[in-house]
Amino acid sequence: MIVLHKTHLKVPSNLKSLDKVLVHFDRINQPSIPKKVWLECQLALVEGFTNAVRHAHEKLPADMEIEIEIAVLEGRLELRIWDWGPPFDLQACIEYYCQGQNNDSGGGRGVIILHKIADRLSYTRQGDNRNCLLIVKNYDAEVESLER
Amino acid sequence: MSTVVKVIRPVGILDGTKADVFRKDINACVENNAYIILVDFQDVTFMDSSGLGALVLSLKTVRAAGAKLLLCSINEPIQMLFELTSMDRVFDIFPNREQFEEKLNNNQL
Repeated sequence: MIVLHKTHLKVPSNLKSLDKVLVHFDRINQPSIPKKVWLECQLALVEGFTNAVRHAHEKLPADMEIEIEIAVLEGRLELRIWDWGPPFDLQACIEYYCQGQNNDSGGGRGVIILHKIADRLSYTRQGDNRNCLLIVKNYDAEVESLER
Repeated sequence: MSTVVKVIRPVGILDGTKADVFRKDINACVENNAYIILVDFQDVTFMDSSGLGALVLSLKTVRAAGAKLLLCSINEPIQMLFELTSMDRVFDIFPNREQFEEKLNNNQL
């Protein structure tokens, strides 16, 4: 599959970096990505990033950076978020929250959102002691010829 | 006796960094005997699950006090967040401030 566009960003592990992440994501927007897909991926990216800050990096210094990669392929968006946190079983976490979700609790919604939005979701331990959250979203590319 | 209405207007991104302040504002409204609390999202550009979590906890607080929490003017990304989490069925959401005020003035709330 051809990669049409790919960007990288490294930000300090701080919720205040969210602004920067959103601005960065804005830049990859293009007419071939359906609006709904773009909005869903924006939310998935935010949830993945804030999870990394609040959970994976909870006990780490804020200057440990979180790395983000956004790849636009033909009919597919791939978001990758690398953190320095301890190993974590995302699948078990998703199953826990999907079973036990009750409407008036304050938390646990982030992973459910990721699970609902992503066509493929994985959280993998790497050789460099980082974890990589991969979010894949497939879509039918909008016909660009209309705009020409 | 007139109905006590309070309006909260958060600004910018409603996320984990603003959640505590938001809940304090809601609690202050409840303590000041508000019967109807409107959260006007006109100036909120984005909300994540932490912001939504604060909103859900606020709803519990407000209902426990016998009051009402209503929302208005949410944008497209926030609408999507509500739908994804089925929270659009839990909250009363008005398209805009005018429609809220119309209902309020007609005693339909």
